[in-house]
Amino acid sequence: MSYEMIALMMFASMMLMLLTGQRVFAAIGFVAVASAMMLWGTGGSVLGFSAAMKLMKWYPLLTLPMFVFMGYILSESRIADDLYRMFHVWMGPVRGGLAIGTIGLMVLISAMNGLSVAGMAIGATIALPELLKRGYDKRMITGVIQAGSSLGILIPPSVVLVLYAMIARQPVGQLWLAGLFPGLLVAGMFIVYIYVRCRINPELGPVLAKEERNIPMREKLALLRAGLLPLGIFAVMMVPFVNGWTSLVESSAVGALAAVAAAAAKGRLSWLVFETSTRMTLAISCMFMWIILAALCFGAVFDGLGAVKSIEGFFIGDLGLGPWEILILMQLSYLILGTFLDDTAMLVIVAPLYVPLVGSLGFDLVWYGVLYTITCQIAYLTPPFGYNLFLMRAMSPPEIGIRDIYISIIPFVAVMILALITVMAFPQIALWLPNYVYGK
Amino acid sequence: MPGYIVKYVRFVEALNYRIGRFAMYLLFALMGVLLYSTFSKVFMTPALWTLEMAQFFMVAYFFLGGPYSIQMGSAVRMDLLYADWRPTTKAVVDAVTVLFMLFYLGNLLWGGIESLTYSFQVGERSASPWRPYLWPIKTVMCIALVLMILQGSAEFFKDIARVRGREI
Repeated sequence: MSYEMIALMMFASMMLMLLTGQRVFAAIGFVAVASAMMLWGTGGSVLGFSAAMKLMKWYPLLTLPMFVFMGYILSESRIADDLYRMFHVWMGPVRGGLAIGTIGLMVLISAMNGLSVAGMAIGATIALPELLKRGYDKRMITGVIQAGSSLGILIPPSVVLVLYAMIARQPVGQLWLAGLFPGLLVAGMFIVYIYVRCRINPELGPVLAKEERNIPMREKLALLRAGLLPLGIFAVMMVPFVNGWTSLVESSAVGALAAVAAAAAKGRLSWLVFETSTRMTLAISCMFMWIILAALCFGAVFDGLGAVKSIEGFFIGDLGLGPWEILILMQLSYLILGTFLDDTAMLVIVAPLYVPLVGSLGFDLVWYGVLYTITCQIAYLTPPFGYNLFLMRAMSPPEIGIRDIYISIIPFVAVMILALITVMAFPQIALWLPNYVYGK
Repeated sequence: MPGYIVKYVRFVEALNYRIGRFAMYLLFALMGVLLYSTFSKVFMTPALWTLEMAQFFMVAYFFLGGPYSIQMGSAVRMDLLYADWRPTTKAVVDAVTVLFMLFYLGNLLWGGIESLTYSFQVGERSASPWRPYLWPIKTVMCIALVLMILQGSAEFFKDIARVRGREI
């Protein structure tokens, strides 16, 4: 059997194993070690454990539990309530304003956290019930929260960009800065979309009732102070990091400490909050780490098969495509894989295959990191497999059914694909800031 | 189910619960090391052991916490088909596919023991300025893998019990 066939067989058996509903890490890990043993006998038997030792050396992944913990502290202690209230009061009088405000809230949370879990938890527990009560269209706001929280992995800090940085050997600082403007661009496009839709169809997002709008200016201004919290936490993490005083991982620990301090200062750090956050951090970190562990082993088998060379040969030799066509085809294939297979595992398995090819075609790898992350965001949203979908299903109130969740994301995915094309066409959106700061 | 199997499952779950609750707090050890590292960098000479110490804590954290995370049901599944099955169907399929998980974990443990033996034999140290021995963390990883396998077997028995209509 040719190596290409073996690689395809591996993907097919992974798909089959995943369909049985067994735990994702077990499905991927089993296919990986079983193929290794069939290919290389006992020589392949240590591949699984070597992946664990390799993962240990991926120092920047230490940011993962820190960001998860920080996110849970922020959502469980409900210190983001004030933040939501700020947007509620200021944006309420506009048509669809609360939905637009929720996007704003998500941007601020994304600036404090590197994953989409925190935004999802805060959006589903704080914003969603309020918006439903005010008669907003449930499909629209379900989409708003899912799509908005996915900004967490694009706007710095971002754990997905950390993973990409490890694989592509690019500096994390530049990647993070490169994600900022594209992140704001995506957020801006969401807002335009919501605004236009609510103009055409006002029932989707009614303005706040008169009595609720009647708030004295003094109070309104006082609410703006809530915005200081995310600004403060963002600054505490990013300023020492960008200046090189602390390393990436140290900054994330400082950020986690800052979140705990903020919760304590507001008197919201009860034992219950603390215990839940710690327990959930273990649960989420274990989930991601075991999947990454299994995916690394899978990737190692692919590496042994020389999959990088065959992919390069396939795209350039067999299909005879130009650089741009290859790039577009790569994004498309990744989108399709990410839809059906596990998104995090795909990130770890596919990136090492594509990144060398992108580099040899002469594209900027920092820019490609941003494209990769936007594609990942879309993969996180699209059924049947997406983390944001899982989280939404677990957290949403009963009146929002699974159909609503699936349908709600369609327009937002369209907006994100548009954003992906924009960043592809104008690389400067991503590259201007890192080039300016690091003076490349 | 026979009484001794019920006892076995209860014992494994209790053991892994305790160890998992302990591992859960390793997060703060990890955080402490990183904060000390920041502190030493800003106010003193940078410490050279913090980076690797943090790595060891991280691995111990998610390896030892693994069985507990399975108990909590936090390992995601692809539930395109799975979600619509009846509980018995789920249990039947799980009882079969959990064997694949045990195979994977067994392979990890095999590689782990080989790697640990090597570490002992040559006194393997990490290639860094601090040069810590590697056997302690590998020992922790092997113990954690044994615990993972125990948890996997407990899941297997729980699935069988579910098929027979009597949950443990």
